[in-house]
Amino acid sequence: MIEALNLAKNYGDKTAVAGVTFTVKPGQVTGFLGPNGAGKSTTMRMIVGLDRPSAGSVTVNGLPFARHRDPLHQVGALLDAKAVHTSRSAYNHLLAMAATHQIPTSRVHDVIEMTGLTQVARKKAGGFSLGMGQRLGIAAALLGDPQTLILDEPVNGLDPEGVLWVRNLVRYLAGQGKTVFLSSHLMSEMAQTADHLIVIGRGRIIADAPVKDIIAGTAEARTRVRTQQATELGRLLAGHGVTVDNKEHETLEITGLVPTQIARIALDNQVLIYELTPMNGSLEDAYFDLTKDEVEYHSHSLAPAGAATEKGNKGP
Amino acid sequence: MSTSTTAAVPSQAGTAGVSFVGVLKSEWIKFRSLMSTRLLLILALVAVIGVGAMAAWLRGTVLEQIMQSGGIPRGDGAIAPAAVPMSETAAEHSLPAGFEIYGVPNAGLQLGILILGALAVLFISSEFATGMIRSTFTAVPKRLPAFAAKAIVLVAVSYVLTIVAAFITFLISIPILKAYGVDMDLQRDGVLRGILLGGLYVAGVALIGLSMGALLRNSAGGIIILVALFFVMPFATQLLGLVPGEFWQHVNEYVPSVAGGRMLEIGHRDGFIDPGAGALIFVGWILLFLIPAVLLLKKRDV
Repeated sequence: MIEALNLAKNYGDKTAVAGVTFTVKPGQVTGFLGPNGAGKSTTMRMIVGLDRPSAGSVTVNGLPFARHRDPLHQVGALLDAKAVHTSRSAYNHLLAMAATHQIPTSRVHDVIEMTGLTQVARKKAGGFSLGMGQRLGIAAALLGDPQTLILDEPVNGLDPEGVLWVRNLVRYLAGQGKTVFLSSHLMSEMAQTADHLIVIGRGRIIADAPVKDIIAGTAEARTRVRTQQATELGRLLAGHGVTVDNKEHETLEITGLVPTQIARIALDNQVLIYELTPMNGSLEDAYFDLTKDEVEYHSHSLAPAGAATEKGNKGP
Repeated sequence: MSTSTTAAVPSQAGTAGVSFVGVLKSEWIKFRSLMSTRLLLILALVAVIGVGAMAAWLRGTVLEQIMQSGGIPRGDGAIAPAAVPMSETAAEHSLPAGFEIYGVPNAGLQLGILILGALAVLFISSEFATGMIRSTFTAVPKRLPAFAAKAIVLVAVSYVLTIVAAFITFLISIPILKAYGVDMDLQRDGVLRGILLGGLYVAGVALIGLSMGALLRNSAGGIIILVALFFVMPFATQLLGLVPGEFWQHVNEYVPSVAGGRMLEIGHRDGFIDPGAGALIFVGWILLFLIPAVLLLKKRDV
């Protein structure tokens, strides 16, 4: 269980996290989703006491992390795959971490085997590929068989087999009643792994709900309409208690009416429609919808402007 | 690379909390598991012994010259003439300050502090450079036990290595000095004291190095400042002595290497503080860097 209360972090006059309040519950995988620079990593570092909050507080299993007598059994954290001395072997790295809590050497061998590092365990961690470094970070996080697992972008750099392995691992651990808090900017990954989502943008919580609610809630039954009389149609529809979003020239996005109703109203009022597209809610849509105003780093499209390419640019 | 698909291994992670003994063991594993550390330690040992052996030989030749000529060779090469050759004991007494026979086992100490000091800086700064410090502080979130464990590992290693090096130097110097008619043994005034305290001096430098690494969090910067403190400052303050005014002539006595170096000597020496006071001032220097390092380490984001 992780509980953050008005947790904030400023670097100089730049706000990284602007007073967030959330709870990560045990027994499920909670995804922490947000664009780059949204404050995910800073929040996670504050949870394990590496960064000192500018305001607010955060507890893990009821206590501030640093107050636990057995931190590695409480929280396993993969915060930065590079949190390893490059000249030390993976085995010695894990051995040194295990020693702090008198964790037996057999457990070190277990996590090495579990993460598939047996072949390279005696090699210098500095020579590891991104994926192997990630596996070593996960091995370190699992070392204390912790009650709470915090993983910052765990699938970064993993091959498809590794991605699947992480997904199964976190689902298994959540099934065991553990708290799993997983950050990612990959919406598709979250849709398959997480039960619950906390969406963050520019240091603020934008959404905090079960995955299915976020898909249903934000991207619910929208219909895209293109017409040369957009303004007129917008006015006509607005009366029916629906939301009309004038997205771009000659394009409306309508929530609250099904396509047949829209077509009927258009016909009755002699408005010519040249496109009527029902838009299925996907997590990706929901995510962009939620974060479109909160993206810290916008990239400029190289391809001609269009909805699809704009979306593609937001992931790093 | 293959991965076992199940993670269903029953927990064998134990339930013990973080303990200081465990943290100490962890830091020791970190210390010994780096190849660079082992190489530097061997280098330090060889360098300290090598310089010590050379110092023994050098002192022997100087003694020989003094005995033959009855005077100290002066800078201009001229030697004060003597009617009769001096005895060995008399010659020993006329050795220049800082050139005493009892100082032989510690003659290579300057190299020892350079290497072990740099090693101490690296012991923590490399953790900042590689990001390892985040793993360290996740396992030991109170932070100070990890720093204290590092300090203990460094003090123990520096002390043991310096004493071993000094003792081997002492053993090597016996036959060398014998050739010049000088009996070197542990009974000689200042020899045993020098051997035992030399280790403390190097351990103190290692503590300053560790503090520097924690303060600057940068390997190159930490080592440069350490070198400046121990190798540049003595010369710079000697030059300051040329500035008119009584005050400037005494600055040199208080810099860490001069005050700390006095700790290893015996007896009064003109223009220098006494050994006991030197030791206190050296401890003061250690605290000057150690205290801010500890406070900042506890407070700063990593």
